[in-house]
Amino acid sequence: MNGNALIQVRGLKKHYNDGAVRALDGIDTDIKKGEVVVIIGPSGSGKSTFLRSLNLLELPTEGSIVFDGEDIAAKHVNINKHRQKMGMVFQHFNLFPNMTILRNMTIAPTKLLKIPKEEAEKTARDLLKRVGLEDRADAYPSQLSGGQKQRIAIVRALCMKPEVLLFDEPTSALDPEMVGEVLDVMKTLAKTGMTMVVVTHEMGFAREVGSRVIFMADGVIVEEGTPSEIFDSPKSDRLKGFLAKVL
Amino acid sequence: MADWLEKLKSDFILNFVEDNRWMNITRGLKNTVIITIFAAIIGVILGLTVAAIRTTYDKNRETMKKNGGIGYWVMTFLNNVCKIYLSIFRGTPVVVQLMIMFYIIFASSTHGVMVAIISFGINSGAYVAEIFRGGIMSIDNGQFEAGRSLGFNYLQTMIFVVLPQVFKNILPTLLNEFIALLKETSVAGYVGVTDLTRGGYIIRGVTFSAFMPLVGIAIIYYVMVMLLTHLVSRIERRLKKSER
Repeated sequence: MNGNALIQVRGLKKHYNDGAVRALDGIDTDIKKGEVVVIIGPSGSGKSTFLRSLNLLELPTEGSIVFDGEDIAAKHVNINKHRQKMGMVFQHFNLFPNMTILRNMTIAPTKLLKIPKEEAEKTARDLLKRVGLEDRADAYPSQLSGGQKQRIAIVRALCMKPEVLLFDEPTSALDPEMVGEVLDVMKTLAKTGMTMVVVTHEMGFAREVGSRVIFMADGVIVEEGTPSEIFDSPKSDRLKGFLAKVL
Repeated sequence: MADWLEKLKSDFILNFVEDNRWMNITRGLKNTVIITIFAAIIGVILGLTVAAIRTTYDKNRETMKKNGGIGYWVMTFLNNVCKIYLSIFRGTPVVVQLMIMFYIIFASSTHGVMVAIISFGINSGAYVAEIFRGGIMSIDNGQFEAGRSLGFNYLQTMIFVVLPQVFKNILPTLLNEFIALLKETSVAGYVGVTDLTRGGYIIRGVTFSAFMPLVGIAIIYYVMVMLLTHLVSRIERRLKKSER
């Protein structure tokens, strides 16, 4: 295994209806420590399916995903242990509506990592401070705006001290004026060296923050490279066509 | 005093006071309450178990099939058992179930109240199961995914994330099921259990006056149901408040 590859994906396939629908049709890539990998592509290209396969929210039909030296796509793997180290941020936030913000952030560390309540709450409050929401610790999710909810979702994932954070279109469900505040948090996070895999339609973010951009279409990686390679000198017609539409 | 009032008073004395006939009512009421409470407990335990099996099967079928092994077949078997249970107990009248229990399955038992508790409990469990299942299914799948993505296993996600939300959502429906159960136990007399209805019926058989005992038990049922309904609406209001 490549020394600094945190996640090594080989021949990843996801088929539906016995192969009639091929959401993923053979993905190979390495995600290295500290990298910010941005995945772009037209809708239906399989980018969300790929991201959700990384922590097995989607079960791959074929292929391997080596994380921490273990193929997590294999049978009988304790995926829960691995998921603790792979945080995920969803398009629709998925905060727990019946818990306060603080409880949202401390439930997993206290129950799973057995961190004492006071310590977990201190970590949570520190993180809240970093995203400017320390005064909302005792609020419920329904009292927050979309942008605030997504910032909470990010720090909730951070409370587990993950090795990698997966973002599934984190700004797609937000009102335009709230996109910026969430992207800012993600930028700050990238600067701290957090490994991130981000599916997004925010091309500005991809260009500015991404250390590598993957362009997907029809369930395969069509092109990948640095942001300038992808955005300034696209090679394939698919990518050129896609960029012409979105830029 | 008006004639009808006088008549009402003597009617009351005849049906409830003479020969301590009121004791038929209290004894019956006691049994009705006991049957309802214990049947409700059995119903909740059974219902939650069945709902857990069915939703676990629905949500994890894919994973279990992929991992292979005995687990998948055990769950498929249990799921089918649950389906048959629901179908039978929701597809036949509760009186018939009660009589089958009493005259066939527990024919040798003399504990009428016990048999009634088991019958109504199993019957109620079928309805409670569907209430729970509906409640679990109504929780956005994103809640499951968020729980799982944090590293909780399926059971932990259920216990820490999903079920607290389910309980909150279904509590009014669940209490309404208990109210229905309370009224349903009035058929226990069919197998000779002296419940509230039977108590009134016995008085009528002795005094040959129908009005006082029957209206009497109707009022008692009504008061109990109203108290429970009041409780439900209070709980509903409290739950709404915490959601702000």
